Amino acid sequence: MKKALTQCALGVLGAATLFGAGARPSAEVKITKGAPVVRVNSTNQSYDAARPWAKKPHYTRRGTGAIVTGGDVLVTAELVADHTYAELEKPATAAKCPATVVAVDYEANLALLRPAEAGFLEDLGTFKLDGSVRVGDSAEILQVENNGEIVSTPAKITTISVSPYPLESLPLLSFRLSSPLQSRDSSFVLPAVRGGHLLGLLMRYDARSQTAEVVPGQIIESFLARAAGNGNPGVPRAGFSFASTRDPQLRTFLGLQSPGGVLVTEVLPDSAAEAAGLRRGDVILSLGGKPIDQDGLYADPQFGKILFTHLIASFRQGDEPLDVTIHRKEGPATAAITPRPADPSTQASPPYHFDQAPRYFILGGLVFQELSRSFLREWGNNWRKTAPQRLVYLDAFQSELPPDRGKIVFLSAVLPSDETMGYENLENLVVTTVNGKSIKSLADLAAAAAAPLDGFHKIEFDEDPGTIFLDAGKVEEQKPALARDYGIPSMERL
Amino acid sequence: MARCGRAGTGRLGILVARPAFGGSFRGMIRWAFLLVAFLAFAGRSSAAPVSKSLVRIEATFQEPDYTQPWTGGRVSSASGSGFVIDGNRILTNAHVVSNARYLTVAKEGDPGIYKARVLHVAHDCDLAMLTVDDPKFFRGTSPLNLGGIPAIESTVSVYGYPIGGDRLSVTRGIVSRIDFQPYSHSGMDAHLTIQIDAAINPGNSGGPVLQDGKVVGVAFQGYSGDVAQNVGYMIPTPVINRFLEDVKDGTYDRYMDIAISYHTLNNPAMRRALGVPGDDRGVYVGQVYGAGASDGHLKAGDVLLSIDGLPISSDGSVPMDGEQIEMAEVVERKFKGDLVTFEVLRDGATLSVKVPLDRSWPFAMQANAYDEKPRFVVYGGLVFQPVDANFMNAHAPDDLRLRYTFDHFVVHELHKERPEIVVLSNVLADPVNAYASEMRHGIVDKVNGRKISDLRDLVKALDESGEFTVIEMLGPGRPIVLERKMVEAARERIMSRYGITTERNLDP
Repeated sequence: MKKALTQCALGVLGAATLFGAGARPSAEVKITKGAPVVRVNSTNQSYDAARPWAKKPHYTRRGTGAIVTGGDVLVTAELVADHTYAELEKPATAAKCPATVVAVDYEANLALLRPAEAGFLEDLGTFKLDGSVRVGDSAEILQVENNGEIVSTPAKITTISVSPYPLESLPLLSFRLSSPLQSRDSSFVLPAVRGGHLLGLLMRYDARSQTAEVVPGQIIESFLARAAGNGNPGVPRAGFSFASTRDPQLRTFLGLQSPGGVLVTEVLPDSAAEAAGLRRGDVILSLGGKPIDQDGLYADPQFGKILFTHLIASFRQGDEPLDVTIHRKEGPATAAITPRPADPSTQASPPYHFDQAPRYFILGGLVFQELSRSFLREWGNNWRKTAPQRLVYLDAFQSELPPDRGKIVFLSAVLPSDETMGYENLENLVVTTVNGKSIKSLADLAAAAAAPLDGFHKIEFDEDPGTIFLDAGKVEEQKPALARDYGIPSMERL
Repeated sequence: MARCGRAGTGRLGILVARPAFGGSFRGMIRWAFLLVAFLAFAGRSSAAPVSKSLVRIEATFQEPDYTQPWTGGRVSSASGSGFVIDGNRILTNAHVVSNARYLTVAKEGDPGIYKARVLHVAHDCDLAMLTVDDPKFFRGTSPLNLGGIPAIESTVSVYGYPIGGDRLSVTRGIVSRIDFQPYSHSGMDAHLTIQIDAAINPGNSGGPVLQDGKVVGVAFQGYSGDVAQNVGYMIPTPVINRFLEDVKDGTYDRYMDIAISYHTLNNPAMRRALGVPGDDRGVYVGQVYGAGASDGHLKAGDVLLSIDGLPISSDGSVPMDGEQIEMAEVVERKFKGDLVTFEVLRDGATLSVKVPLDRSWPFAMQANAYDEKPRFVVYGGLVFQPVDANFMNAHAPDDLRLRYTFDHFVVHELHKERPEIVVLSNVLADPVNAYASEMRHGIVDKVNGRKISDLRDLVKALDESGEFTVIEMLGPGRPIVLERKMVEAARERIMSRYGITTERNLDP
């Protein structure tokens, strides 16, 4: 997985539109009649990490969704992340209808919207999925013109690979196409089609190189199947990391006779890989019957050589487990992995949380939160260098924490008040205990705060300054004043 | 005593004149010549006695290159100031003579240039003592005497050889502030410092600051004009006297440090919870750094009520010399082997705790080092180096694990796990290491299954490896595997291709 992550990403995450200036018009652009597309306007608003009880200013993203079987509208998850209101707008008539998000998967970057008014989209028809893309194929990209007409721009598929998606948590199958797109409204997401069938959704476009990255039909198909099955979609994972075995000296040392194979460098606790008996140091020679080469690629009959993690990500509930052949020091071995979606919210520092208000707990002006990558991302694009180093470290290397570590609860800020006099400069300190009780979640902290010791709250951190105290009686007494002075609607959200 | 971070927003610059200006600088001298000559003439009449003790120091130095540790480093030169004290000695800044290969001094009214040598250098307080072996040099000089701490707002004069001319320069200003400040030469130390508003410029470094004919400080650092105006710093006499006292036995033992972090006790709830008396005394010990002097004597959570009998205020100050001064100053004036006595409130009881100042400063790895040869090992084109401040400055690695390990080496006591961090610092591309470059800046965890705790461990493990050398880095990732016969075959090739004169240096 490491290898795929190094491939560079195009475009800017979260830009209001996919376009910059300079896209050239093309002679082959034509008007299409009656495609099953609809404008999707999503007003989004996220919480302020520095003041977790408050929201940041809202903004609107406008995209073009594809109507799929069942009359729901498919868009990228980014379009509706942290949405407060989503509406559908018919291209020709500008008729509008509110919509609800019925399924969303931030890793696959897909979301499904349903109009509040049943039958609102009935006259527009639906797309069928076409998953048969190959490098070199032609396609078209649909955009909605200001006058409501649907414009199609020709495109050519140039690359198919397993590469990082906007969240960067998981590399998935995507294809890249080359197309001279023009800047038009409602272009945050656009459908890529061929012969009236849906090939994928554009998630990023680089106007300079005129290339777009597309969520392909395969990923959409899996997402729709999961969405139809239960309410908890998620990309299946195996839970291990691997490295290439290109180096001939490493191969000789490992005793690898045959070509190919990747070295397992880490097996996550409680993962499908661990359950299957995979170990650090194993060399995976094949998976699901496909031989894996030294860089982790397998020969896909349709896509060519792509990363084998695609086989894991496209696993479906109910499929036969994936057989793995292993080269191990002790001798050859086999395993059977049943990939399953991981629940990112169970991680010590979850990689994202959209559509949820961040948890917090305020005790006498001390603001406590649970660590998440969303919090760290508040430091901007360069957050890995600019966010508090200790928290970045805990997030980045959380797989090395003890398995029972729980959530990382930390003091995120101090609201100066009588109770916090002298503590004003404390921030970003990881809490170990409160009133003698070990803290593995904000709920733990709230429970511990209910039982002060001898009239004091004793808060311990895992680094300097070690311990601080608050007067429990005064904290309670001053609660209304603190809420009023700092405009805090509630002292906790658990 | 507390953590010595770099305070303030601007970067303190040290004040050696480095002739990096090239041709344009020469042009400027010619243009400004008359004006400077006039000033020098006007200054000479009032500064006549001082000019007999002032020296100009020219240093040719070689800064080691931590990115190519086998090379000697680039040679360049700089000039600074200094002054004669009793016993045929010259005082200047450590940064004027650091990494020097050749030193000369010249004095007013003497056309000669004399070779000088360093007697003692104290990088932690930026002072150095030189002498000149040629007895002719000290003839006609008059040693300067040290004074005390000048009063705030009193006038002082700065003497030296700053840029802008060749002759002695004098500037005048007042004492703006007396405070603890970071000393940027080591980057890790903070001592008593006096801020003055006299113009001090590159070249002033090491020059005396006088009041009533006595030395009250040594000019050493300042802010450049785009950061702050008229802010210059001098090393005050308590620091100079301590240096002179420390070297009396022939060696410099450095500053002692009690290696704790402490916090003011302003919070009323905190004071009551800890049972601190209501007399505005006491500071709270947040952390006692492992391997530091206080380890095993003080504990996190202690409240320090007095130090050597002086009551500690809740802001951490003690009454000294008629003023409230940061309690660190008590320790500052002590030497190796001395005791510091604390009155400590621990678990509700008051006790007396003696901390012997007998252990070395645990922050040394994070301070800039000078006059050292970089240590390294080259094996199969892989360059391994121990991590210290010089390494980090030269390589500026992005690697998060490495940066974290360096920054938290002391505060999270990572040195207990690994006294030295050995890093794969570079890969000299060759067929033997064709796939190793992605591991650059990784921390070496084990070699052939043996844990690596310092550079010597690594050398031993490499020397004793058999057919294969398996190098594992900290964290998940693949090992680097080198076949011994390939390493042997590549040795000459790599050394000649990359101009490596020696494969290892284990001594600083």
